[in-house]
Amino acid sequence: MPTETFTNDAIDIDALPKYEEIPLRKPDTNYWKIICINLIITFLLIGVSAGLLIFFNEKIQPHAILISITYITIAIFSILLFYVSFKKRGYAIRTKDVIYKSGIIAESTTIVPLNRIQHIELNEGFFSRMFKLGSLQIFTAGGQTGHIHIAGIPIDEAKSIRDLLLNKLELVETPETEI
Amino acid sequence: MNSDFSKPQRESAFGIIVMAAHTAFKIGKATFFFIVYAFIKMGPAYTTYALLGIGIIIVLCIIFSYLWYLKFTFFLDKEKQEFVVNKGILNRDQVIIQLDKIQQVNINQNLLQKMIGVYGLKIDTAGASGEEVSIKAIDEVSAYNLKEHLLKGKAAAIDQSDILIEKDALIEQIPFLKISSWTLFKVGLTSNYGQSLTVILVFFMYTVQEARHIMDIFELDKGYVKSTVLGLATLFSVAVIVVIFLMVLLFINLIRTFYKYFQLEVSHHKNSLLLSSGVIAKKNTLINPNKVQITKHSQNYFQKKLNLLNISLKQAHFGESKKGKEMQGNTLEIVGCDAIERDQLLKMILGQVPISGKTFAPDWRFLNLPIFFKLVLPVAIFLIVAFNVQEVKPYIGFAAAYFLIGIFMISISYRRHRIAVDQDFIIKTSGIWDISKEVIVPHKIQAITASQYPWHKSVDVGHLCLHTAAGQIRFKYGNYSEIKKLVNFWLYQLESGNEDWM
Repeated sequence: MPTETFTNDAIDIDALPKYEEIPLRKPDTNYWKIICINLIITFLLIGVSAGLLIFFNEKIQPHAILISITYITIAIFSILLFYVSFKKRGYAIRTKDVIYKSGIIAESTTIVPLNRIQHIELNEGFFSRMFKLGSLQIFTAGGQTGHIHIAGIPIDEAKSIRDLLLNKLELVETPETEI
Repeated sequence: MNSDFSKPQRESAFGIIVMAAHTAFKIGKATFFFIVYAFIKMGPAYTTYALLGIGIIIVLCIIFSYLWYLKFTFFLDKEKQEFVVNKGILNRDQVIIQLDKIQQVNINQNLLQKMIGVYGLKIDTAGASGEEVSIKAIDEVSAYNLKEHLLKGKAAAIDQSDILIEKDALIEQIPFLKISSWTLFKVGLTSNYGQSLTVILVFFMYTVQEARHIMDIFELDKGYVKSTVLGLATLFSVAVIVVIFLMVLLFINLIRTFYKYFQLEVSHHKNSLLLSSGVIAKKNTLINPNKVQITKHSQNYFQKKLNLLNISLKQAHFGESKKGKEMQGNTLEIVGCDAIERDQLLKMILGQVPISGKTFAPDWRFLNLPIFFKLVLPVAIFLIVAFNVQEVKPYIGFAAAYFLIGIFMISISYRRHRIAVDQDFIIKTSGIWDISKEVIVPHKIQAITASQYPWHKSVDVGHLCLHTAAGQIRFKYGNYSEIKKLVNFWLYQLESGNEDWM
C-alpha cells in the first residue's frame, strides 16, 4: 500500500466555504413589473366576475360594500406579499453549486450541487419576452421540493448561465461514461 | 429457454392465457355490480343473453391477448445498454429503459401463472410510473437470467460468457434472514394499526354505498333498515362496540401481515438482495443495495420489549417531475427482524453499521406551533361552543383529557426529534409511538434547503431539509449557525467527491 502518498487530513469545518456569505444577485427590476401585470390581470378578472355577480344577483347587492372592501384588502395584501417575496429573492452560481434564496415569510435557501442536476429548462413567458427576461428551472432527482426556479433573469444572462451549467454537467458526466 | 436476449423475442405463448385472464378479471372487477344488478333485474328469461354477452367478452379478451402477444417483443441492446420493449396493438409503442436506471426487478407468480408454470417479470425504474415494463409470462430460468442481465448492467455486457443460473442454485440460496410465523404473529399484533384502520374504513364506506344501491334496486324500505341498524346499535353498549372494533382491527392486522409477509426471506444474491414472501404466490423482489436511498428502521414500545424491528428500504420514486407525476410505493418492507439481523442488513446496504455521530436537538420553540394549532386553538373553539350550546356542555371534561394527552404526545415528539451527523451517515430520529430512525449517506442528498423565520433570527433558530430521491429528511428548530455549518460540510462532501447516488 502506498502509505506515503495517502493523506487523510482532518477537515477544518470552519475553513470550508460558507454558502451564507456569498453575495446574491437580485432578479431584474423589470421582473417586478411583470409580477404587477400578472396581479392586475388576475384581480381584474376576479373583480369583473364579482361585479357581474353583484349586478345580476339581487340577493348579494346589500353586501356589495363588504365584498368590495375584502376585495381591496386582499388585493393590497397580495401586492405587499409579492413585493416582500420579490425583495427576498436572490441567486448565485458557484463553481460547484447553485444557490437560490426565496420566501414570503420564512427565508429559505436551497442549494443544488452541480453534480446532482438532472436537467435544466429555460422558459420565456409572454410578458417576460417583452421585458427580455427569462426564468431558469433546475431539476434534481429530489422531487418537486428539490427544484430551483429562478425567475426574472435578463435573457442573455439566463442563456449564458444555462450554457455554463450544461457545460459543467457534461464535464461531470464524461468521466463516468468513459469507464 | 435461452440466456441470450440480444434478439427481439416474444414472451412465452402461455402469456396469451395469462393476459386474457388478466383482462377478463379487470373487466369483471369493474363491472361486477353492474352484472349482478343485470342478473337480478332482467329475470331468468334473459339469462341466455347475459351469458352470451359474457361469452363474447371472454372471446374478445382472448383475441385482444393474442394480438397483444404478437406485438409484444423485448430485447437487450448490449451496445447501448438498453432494454427495449415493443408493444401496442394499434399504435406502436417502444419503451426503452437504460440498464443503469433500473432499480428493481420483481419476479412473481400468481395463482394462474403457478398453474401454467410461468413467471411474471416486472421492471421498476426511477422514471415516471408510465414507463414501467411488465412481462406476463416467462419461464423461470429465462426470468432469472434476464434479471441477472438487467441488474448487472455494464459488467454483464463486457463479460460475454453468459452465466446460466441453474434452477437448483436458486433454491439452494441460504437466506440470512427468515421470519417465522410466530414472529409474524407478534408483528401483526404490534404494528400498522393506522393502515388497517384505513382499510376497514374504506371497506365500510364501500359497503354502505353498495348497500344503498342494492336497497334502491330491491326497493327496500330504507326507514325499516335504518331503525333495525339503530336498534342493533342501542342493543350493544358503546363499550362493547369499541371492544368488537378493536378485535376486528387486530384480526385484520394479523391477516394483512400474514398475507403480505408470509415466509419472508432475505438472501444475498450475487450483487443484489433477494426478498421473497407470500402465501399462495411467492413474490420475489431483487434490489440493488446501491440504489436504496433511505434506510429506515422503526420500533414501538411493545416491539422494543419483544425485540422486533421493522425496516423499510426506500428507493428513488420521483420521475421526470416536469410532468408532475410521482411514483408511489417504491418502498420495500422487512418486518420482524431483531437487532442483530438489522445490523446485518444495514451492513449489506450501507457497507457498515451506521455510527451515531454528533447529535443535534431542536430548540424548545419546536413545541409552540403544534401546541397552538393542535391543542389551544381546537380546545378554545370547543369551549366557546360548549358554553353556548347546552347539549355539548357535559363533555367539557373530554377537552381537558385531550389537552393533557396532546401535551404529553407533543412533548414526546419533541424529545425524539433528533439528527445525528457522522462523517459517513446522517441519522434522523423521530416519532411518537413508532420511533423511527432514517439513515442516509451524504452522497445520496440531491439538494439542501435551510430556512428561517424572521422572528427566529435573534434567537438563532432555523430549519433544515435534505432532499433525496426517496423523499425529504427534515430537522426543525435547530441551532441555525450549526445548521449552516452542517450544510457547508455536506456541500463539501457532495461536491468534492463524485460518487454515484444511483
